[in-house]
Amino acid sequence: MQDLRKALSAHEILSVEVYKTMWLKVRIDSHDLLAVAQTLKDEGFIAISTVSPTDFLEEDRMEMNYFFENYTTKRNCWLKCDIPRDIEACEIDSITPMFPGANWHEREAYSMFGVRFRGHPDLRPIIVSQDFYDKTPFRKDFDWDAHEANTVENIQQIVDAFKEEQEINEEHLDASSSEMILNWGPTHPASGPIRLKVHCDGEDIISIDPDIGFVWRALEHLVTKKDFVGAIVAVERLCFMDNINSMVGYCQAVEEIADVEITEFAKWMRVLLGEVSRISSHAMGMGGFYNAMGLHTVGMWNMDIREYFLDFLESYSGARIATAAIEPGGVRYGLQMNMLDELQKALDKFDATKDDIKTIFVNNPTMKVRAAKKGIITAKEVESFALCGVVARSSGVKIDVRIDEPYAAYAQVKMDYVVQKEGSAKDRLSTLFGELEQSIDIIKQAKRHIEAEIENGNFNPTKDHMVKVPKKLPKGEAISRVEWSRGEVLMHLVTDDKAKSPYRLKMKAPSFNHTMMLNKMLQGETLSDIPLIFGSLYICQGDLDR
Amino acid sequence: MLRLFDFFAHAKSESVWMAHFCTGCCSLEMAAAMGPRYDWERYGYLPTPTPRQADVLIITGLVTKKILPALLRTYAQMPEPKYVLALGACAFDGGPYNDSLAVIKNPTEILPADAFVAGCPPRPEAIVAGLEEIKKKMKSGEPSAASQGGLWKEMEF
Repeated sequence: MQDLRKALSAHEILSVEVYKTMWLKVRIDSHDLLAVAQTLKDEGFIAISTVSPTDFLEEDRMEMNYFFENYTTKRNCWLKCDIPRDIEACEIDSITPMFPGANWHEREAYSMFGVRFRGHPDLRPIIVSQDFYDKTPFRKDFDWDAHEANTVENIQQIVDAFKEEQEINEEHLDASSSEMILNWGPTHPASGPIRLKVHCDGEDIISIDPDIGFVWRALEHLVTKKDFVGAIVAVERLCFMDNINSMVGYCQAVEEIADVEITEFAKWMRVLLGEVSRISSHAMGMGGFYNAMGLHTVGMWNMDIREYFLDFLESYSGARIATAAIEPGGVRYGLQMNMLDELQKALDKFDATKDDIKTIFVNNPTMKVRAAKKGIITAKEVESFALCGVVARSSGVKIDVRIDEPYAAYAQVKMDYVVQKEGSAKDRLSTLFGELEQSIDIIKQAKRHIEAEIENGNFNPTKDHMVKVPKKLPKGEAISRVEWSRGEVLMHLVTDDKAKSPYRLKMKAPSFNHTMMLNKMLQGETLSDIPLIFGSLYICQGDLDR
Repeated sequence: MLRLFDFFAHAKSESVWMAHFCTGCCSLEMAAAMGPRYDWERYGYLPTPTPRQADVLIITGLVTKKILPALLRTYAQMPEPKYVLALGACAFDGGPYNDSLAVIKNPTEILPADAFVAGCPPRPEAIVAGLEEIKKKMKSGEPSAASQGGLWKEMEF
């Protein structure tokens, strides 16, 4: 951290402070952005987590937030600068030429806030549908109701744009060759709601342009209409496969602003529930990988295991998936001891099946032949594109927020990075299974600890789960990171004075960066590799579009 | 002759295939319904990759503006008789995304559904129960709701 401070002192820095020990919060003038970014890059801050503008309507400024991460030293830098809010002058230099991982994040900022990035190689709108082009839906003064009044015209615009796109494709493609543009999705069984525009020559892929936003619910805008507790409904719908950990991330940010410390019991419960949720997601992820290859057995087996873990969630919260179990101030419900019996059943089920899954599917020779050399991501690419989670660890990059910046009770949990070496599709499957086993181990640790402490009388499972968090929060901002099942989720929460609802919540979700890699990974491959590589990246459209 | 006709309706209703098309998060519980514990294949349900062989289109939860044309196109590609099942609160009134203006809050006004399944997301048992409703409709030879009305007929997609 001292090195970074020293290196940055060469520039004109408006303010600098250490934030949460891991972060250096630096405010600069927007004209110095490129120079400072270069210094950061030289210091090893190669990954850019996200670019998040905040619109301050009353102060008439747009605040840009850049979150840089150093994957080696695990130190992070939070860069802030102001740019004019006026739509004509709302411009800043693009850091994409320097940090390729910023590409889509800058496009998102452009589509949502109308921030133009000078020197961006490909500044097209992303996520939003055609009716939002050249509009700024996330700005505070955007009139949603007026926009909504024309729903029929808006849909017509989307339809027209699609037809026009097909016509342009027809005109530009060489009719005498076998060149064509295929739409992979949104109705493809392996795709989910995403459309890949695959430019191919016969079977060989020339390039891929992902069209995303088919499940864009504007969650980041939706939370600003709800109170701090109500917002968890939107936050957990980031992706239903693993909803607990995204709520943990949001609640930590709220607690930080409210200056509330949750109880030790609630921290352990967050670990326990988070890992259960991770298992239910990873089980589906493994199934998705094999489904994409055309084998449904592992999906069925894992779905069976997953049901047992959902039984535990159901006994705890009353809902299988939409649990809303984490709330600012702790966890929503107390713990009855018979709930842990359900959990024990699930653990037994996993232990009884895991050897078979490992022998038959994870070490499957046919799968190895098919996937061992496909979709390789190097460790260098992981860093420059800020990939995280399973994908990053499969390439041998040792990052895991649970270890690097421990939250909840993870500091007391014994765990290590689950890594593979090559970063191929096969390695990603192995990592997934490795993490399943790791999560089981963590659950066992957490369960043992909770049971022992209840026995000792240190935890009161029916009273300790919540501490009071005030309904109105002071002015402030916080970031919180959690290791979600797919990777790091970064929540940037801004509140106003006496706030009842979030002023701005930026959710950085891992699938966004991973989808960015598709074009790079699939160039030169054949059409039959698309489902395999797409499935191995473990993408969920929920957190891709938000 | 009448009897033979009944036989076809019965046969159709006992092997209901649905277009494999996910528009929202309820598809997760749909996957659970396909899984070993709830195993909807016992009742003859099967997801099919192409709408050309499908009998039922499931609106799996939320429908955004961007995906609506694709949804309607999928429906148009299905052969008659075809039915629509609406899953979850989103398909009814926008559900938890009711305040979000990127989401269509009344997808069933555009594409009328033959049965609704409540919940966010609905439980797998409820999904199977909803499909049983469709089955009844198929058996009786009743025309589907979408064939009788809905905004989709006036829309270009």
